[in-house]
Amino acid sequence: MPGGYVGKIGVIDLTEGSIRIEETSEILGKKYLGGKGYALALLYEHAKDLEEKGKALSDLNPLGPDNAIVFATGPATGVPGFPSPGRYHVMALRSPLTGSIGSANSGGEWGPFLKFAGFDMLFIKGAADSPVYISVVDGCIEICDASDYWGKNVFDTDDLLKKEVGGKNVSVACIGPAGENLVPMANIVNDKHRAAGRTGLGAVMGSKFLKAIVVSGSESVPVADMEKFREASREALEKERKNSVTAEGLPTYGTAILINVLNNAGALPFKNWQSGYNPEADKISGETLTKNYLVKKRPCWGCNIACGRVSSVKTGPYQILLTEGPEYESIWALGNTTGVMDLEAITKANHLCNEFGLDPISTGSTIAAAMELRQRGLIKDEYLHGMDLSFGNAATLVESIWRIAYKTGFGKYMALGSKRLCEIFGAPELSMSVKGLEMPAYDPRGVKGMGLNYATSNRGGCHVTGYTVSPEILGIPTKIDPLTIEGKAQWVKTFQDFACVVNSTVNCLFTTFALSVADYANLLSAVTGWNLTEEEIMRIGERIYNLERLIMSKFGFTDKDDTLPPRLTSEPMPEGPAKGQVVELEQMKKEYYRLRGWVNGIPTPEKLKELEIEL
Amino acid sequence: MVLIITLYFYITKISKVCVGEMVSVKVLLFAIFREKYGIKETELEFDGTLNGFLKALGEKISPKLVEDIYDPESKYIKNNLIVMVNGRNVKDIKGELKFNNGDTVAIFPPVAGG
Ligand code: SF4
Repeated sequence: MPGGYVGKIGVIDLTEGSIRIEETSEILGKKYLGGKGYALALLYEHAKDLEEKGKALSDLNPLGPDNAIVFATGPATGVPGFPSPGRYHVMALRSPLTGSIGSANSGGEWGPFLKFAGFDMLFIKGAADSPVYISVVDGCIEICDASDYWGKNVFDTDDLLKKEVGGKNVSVACIGPAGENLVPMANIVNDKHRAAGRTGLGAVMGSKFLKAIVVSGSESVPVADMEKFREASREALEKERKNSVTAEGLPTYGTAILINVLNNAGALPFKNWQSGYNPEADKISGETLTKNYLVKKRPCWGCNIACGRVSSVKTGPYQILLTEGPEYESIWALGNTTGVMDLEAITKANHLCNEFGLDPISTGSTIAAAMELRQRGLIKDEYLHGMDLSFGNAATLVESIWRIAYKTGFGKYMALGSKRLCEIFGAPELSMSVKGLEMPAYDPRGVKGMGLNYATSNRGGCHVTGYTVSPEILGIPTKIDPLTIEGKAQWVKTFQDFACVVNSTVNCLFTTFALSVADYANLLSAVTGWNLTEEEIMRIGERIYNLERLIMSKFGFTDKDDTLPPRLTSEPMPEGPAKGQVVELEQMKKEYYRLRGWVNGIPTPEKLKELEIEL
Repeated sequence: MVLIITLYFYITKISKVCVGEMVSVKVLLFAIFREKYGIKETELEFDGTLNGFLKALGEKISPKLVEDIYDPESKYIKNNLIVMVNGRNVKDIKGELKFNNGDTVAIFPPVAGG
């Protein structure tokens, strides 16, 4: 294999208890890099195998043994000097929350340490019949009994497994009670506070009786052209040092600095998106977090930006002496959209999400949806057993987290996610989700490109699939008007394709505030030894996005699923700077499909051929 | 006599600025600006022009803040900042930048997240 890869993939069948070690393919690496792209290629092969065995993909149970999950690094992961190389990507053929592809990304140390353990990726299928964990240490993979760990929370599991496995560069990715209990919003947490958060991948692990994957090792990642790489790395890191966002904004305030920015732009969803402006948002802002609760910064492995927060709530009912986060998205989901203006309660709720293994975005959004159902009188007292489900109730927020993780009391309804919850209580339109995935912290009535991105994002309501907030609100790389729709389809497509490149490289999306496609082409060419041009890089991104779309179409997804909650397309924003605005989705979608070369939201055979996607 | 010199269009309102008339705007500072100048929020009175705004800002808070946000070459707000008037980024406002009575001006350094 060329540089950037350690050259091995572990293929594990938990039903059979078998382990096979395969070579990483240079052909697939060139076509899909690694991470998300390469994982998709593996999942596509798996999907074709299932079809050959006569199993219809539309019937595939996301929580059944036929689902597969891939833990994938890319050519950047674990390479010192590559900007922000501490991340990995997890993909599942099917998400239990959305029924579409499962996809999530995480930082910390686990990704690099998987490579140091000797593997680029792990492909896992089947299901064990009792709890197991997978140990990946110094080139060896073992399936081990996890009976002693089943039932434990994330923090205890992490501590105990680290102790049991030991070794150099040891890191644990595991599920908590939420994943064990098959909550479709369960995440996978590594290094205690970093999570592959979205689309319910923790439940996929839970369904396989897979409690954790422990990695440890000391292999180093080869670089094809060290001289060229040093030069590319020096240039890229210099750009990050000179860029005020990556050098000052993110390290000083973390991601939560966006609370005030989005609120001032009138696009910070408040109380389940009933408004985009919260007059009290400063109480839960990045400025307030930094001033009152920040202990120190914590970077992911090898990252110079260091946006991660270590915080402490020293006293009071929500005391938590040491924790990580909360990040912008979790503050918004657990606070702004639930109307809870208490940063201490939000910090505690975020800590509990990590402890129990829950995605804070989907969890907070589902609690907010429940609060609006209650506000409208659609949830009767008898369901609540005394719980006050009103907007702004901090105690209810914190209580709801463990109730969801353990599916107890009203938690058993909220644990279904907002889509199913709102359907059960007779108001499906109140689920602020796309394809069943709760949307994050940007109201597209005030950031129109994000409306198109949410609707067409393959994994559902997701911001990082195509983060047009960057040009629309932050002015990076250039400022465009957030309230117009002209040209947005092209921006969304470009950002979606480039995000696929970053998630397959795998490094951090935040580098793109300072680095361009050309920088990625230079860095990746130097690491791998391939001559990757900007055009080829973007073509790889487009190929990945189309392959993902193709797989989804086999589950039955079409243009009809590329939609938004009616609130965003037909209820004008009631107040604030975006007052009177709705998302003109259909107009943008038409242009987007034209640019993508899709018919009915599905890539045509010609498009697939052009992108060299083999059917 | 008061001479109307401009009509300024916002999305939801049409306002006017008149020569000799002073406007009062609310200024909000965020992130490093809030820390550096120790001020979260203040009111400024000036003639509704960008020059008037900068002068009043320099006098009320600090001339250094004016240096922080103003680019003398382009004679406009620095390109990498996020400065919003009533939630609209000044870079999205077409035509000459004018301020109206009751406006809110939010000043952020270059920031991002996700
Ligand atoms: S910028 Fe933040 S999230 Fe990204 S790798 Fe660095 S510390 Fe991790």
